[in-house]
Amino acid sequence: MSARIEYDLMLVGGSPSNLTLAYHFLELAKDSGKDFTIAVLEKGPEFGSHVMSGAVSNPHVLQKVWPNYKELGFPVEAVCDDSNFSILGVKEKWDMARWMYPPSLDKTGYLVLTLSYCTAWMARQVQEKAKEVPNVAVDMYTGFSAHKVIFEEGRVVGVAVAENPRSEEDYVYARLTAFGDKGFISRDVIDYYKLRNCPQIWSVGVKEVWQCQQSYAGKVWHTLGWPLLEGTFGGGFVYGMKDNKLTIGMVISLDSQDPNMNPQLKLQEYKKHPWIQSMIQGGKLLKYGAALLPEGGYYCLPKRFAVPGALLLGDALGVLDVKRLAGIDRAMECGYVAAEVMFDALCKGDLGEEALAPYQQRLTDSFVVKEAYQDRYFRWAFMENHRLLGDYLPVVAGGVDSGHPLLGMIKVGLKNPFRAAGDGIRALQLIEGKKDIGPIKYEPDFKSIVPAFVPPKYEEPPFDKNTIYSRPDAVFFASTKYHEGNKHIDEFNADVCVKCIAEYEKLGKTTPCVADCTAEVHRIDIIGDLKKHGMSLENCIHCRTCEVVCPQVNLRVKPTEQGSGPDFMGL
Amino acid sequence: MADPFDIFVLVKQVPDQGSKAGLNPDGTIDRAKAKRMLNPFDRYALQAALHTKKTYGGRVTAISMGPPPAVEVLMEALEHGVDRGVLLSDRRLAASDTLATAYALCKTVQWVGRFDIIFCGLQTTDGDTAQVGPQLAERLGLPQITYCQDFKIDDHRVHAERIIEGGYQKLDSELPVLVTVANSYHPLEYKSFRGAWRVQQLLRNEVEQKKYIQTVDLDVIGADPDRCGLKGSPTIVAATEKVGEIGGNCTMHEGHTASVLVEELLGCSNLKEFVKA
Repeated sequence: MSARIEYDLMLVGGSPSNLTLAYHFLELAKDSGKDFTIAVLEKGPEFGSHVMSGAVSNPHVLQKVWPNYKELGFPVEAVCDDSNFSILGVKEKWDMARWMYPPSLDKTGYLVLTLSYCTAWMARQVQEKAKEVPNVAVDMYTGFSAHKVIFEEGRVVGVAVAENPRSEEDYVYARLTAFGDKGFISRDVIDYYKLRNCPQIWSVGVKEVWQCQQSYAGKVWHTLGWPLLEGTFGGGFVYGMKDNKLTIGMVISLDSQDPNMNPQLKLQEYKKHPWIQSMIQGGKLLKYGAALLPEGGYYCLPKRFAVPGALLLGDALGVLDVKRLAGIDRAMECGYVAAEVMFDALCKGDLGEEALAPYQQRLTDSFVVKEAYQDRYFRWAFMENHRLLGDYLPVVAGGVDSGHPLLGMIKVGLKNPFRAAGDGIRALQLIEGKKDIGPIKYEPDFKSIVPAFVPPKYEEPPFDKNTIYSRPDAVFFASTKYHEGNKHIDEFNADVCVKCIAEYEKLGKTTPCVADCTAEVHRIDIIGDLKKHGMSLENCIHCRTCEVVCPQVNLRVKPTEQGSGPDFMGL
Repeated sequence: MADPFDIFVLVKQVPDQGSKAGLNPDGTIDRAKAKRMLNPFDRYALQAALHTKKTYGGRVTAISMGPPPAVEVLMEALEHGVDRGVLLSDRRLAASDTLATAYALCKTVQWVGRFDIIFCGLQTTDGDTAQVGPQLAERLGLPQITYCQDFKIDDHRVHAERIIEGGYQKLDSELPVLVTVANSYHPLEYKSFRGAWRVQQLLRNEVEQKKYIQTVDLDVIGADPDRCGLKGSPTIVAATEKVGEIGGNCTMHEGHTASVLVEELLGCSNLKEFVKA
């Protein structure tokens, strides 16, 4: 038996947060004269292949870590020079005047990014930097994911790198571990130390990249309204990129009342809008993908950011800010701060919990948590008052369609002057964080499902059939690839599924897992008289929507083995 | 058992099937642009080699021929548990056809030294000829077992099953022998973390790396440059044609009874033309 593999620092997940950590750690260690070993685990076959984001991002942290990022060839798709916030009716679009929406939604000067490329670039920077720093050994492992966290005496000491570890060969140990994953494994750490007061709430982002006939580079739109006119929280985004490429996507909260809210279908409906049709007709779909976003914000942050032997970063921590539509810079800041804290701890040889405590303190004092605090009620404002999106937004969208968006707003006011005004004032106060209503507690997303919910029907405008893709077709553009014998989604109790299916069938619907899946994974198998839940796992693109929306909490999506999964390069 | 086996396995780097490979103006594949991968057929050969090592003892040498980036497939082989790699890399080998390739590989194998068994993949996904393995056996004067789907080694003899139409042949051969492994053999086991770890250590240490992976050229192995590359290749690519891109337009019809399904299928696209009443 060979000795166990042990590193000073292990980074779980090849994410922007962890790669920033690795790079900054190398900078810190360069002149220290001390020897360190670092391992980076990435479940995808290459860095970036399981990373997906919008994305339009503030480059301030990037600038801090790589001041010469432009010379180093950081892959920028465009610099935003035309930022819009719009409301969509079924047929028309209304770009709101700049003074009508919060300044945080003005993205002028920000970078439009393809995050998978950025992640691959960061990985290369780390590798290049490591050559200059011979005292630090950086081992970058692709195709290996952390399947299980190993705790020893209440401390995180390592992870298992195989689903069913057979021997010591299948474990990696580290003196300190950083979790920068999307929640596949860090949730075990959060559960083990009972760090959550409030369950995390999620939204799903679906995105397509198109090759268009003309360039929209630098143009950015964020939209409200069509096709989410049934009260679901969410919106669309369209970003123009270089080489005539266009990003079209939607972010949709999973606390929708509609049990059959299909995000991929919503994106197709979004694309049927004449404004988007005018851009993509004659174009070509290049890529499709989906991913979850932690939406809870401030009150969903874990009680502690550091646990004995480990830190939580980025999406594992949940620092994404829905109001500002910002996550990447926050994740990178986590990595930047974590590098300094971990470096200090390793230099001093003090690996206790107190040595890692500055991590939380420094993040709390930084823009990451400060801005999350300002925006702490943003999501709640729409959750506590369903009229905002359910009643008022459709009227305004109707106004947009009739050519008088402001009239739509006035209509809302006239219908019930006192209530509408009251709702508006309270919502604004909450959104801006000016009114304090104390800590809030979210319900898990699936509890919002109303099985009998009937979404309103709208007449769709005419559209070009060649621009619309069915869900199985979309999977083709996510380029999924799986090894034989892959079983990465657990279904705990088949009987529960049978009952759930029967329940929804009575209502003339299908189950949330089948409907909401972004990639044609879940299905209903008819075996004799029995209707059972089945899965086509080879289609899965790792978004984890099914796990969040399952009304019976009967599913769990695990990290895959052998680098299997989608290929998000280009998203 | 006498000496431990010396097992050779031939591997090749090919353009990634998932990415789009471009063509050079002369019709050959543009290898510089395409993403690269280990030839999928070679995975079975690698599994056969590693299985032999595990079951009967011995050491495995992976041999490859290609431009310098081909060292990546040897690294991958090391991750899976191969003991050492040899890369034949020389500009004069460019545009070799199967005749020239088999000659160069024959010289490489002879240069590397003694062997008991050579495993090859059935064919590659870029050339798809399935000729190099058999040609190499001829040049080395070895018996060959092609389309092998299973084998046992017993008393210095190989007992193999060879796929033929409608069944399989049972073959028996003495060592040394060349075996091309069919893809009905066991798929390659995933690399172990320990293997990946070892290669990471090698990547950082060039001195150590040279001990495990040797790169040789035509002069080292003593091959005649006139019999290699374009000069040594009688094959001429007359023309290549692009057949357009594939892309799905698929719809799913499921969860219905058979009769509904038939109706639904008939209703869509132009299937009706093909159905006779």
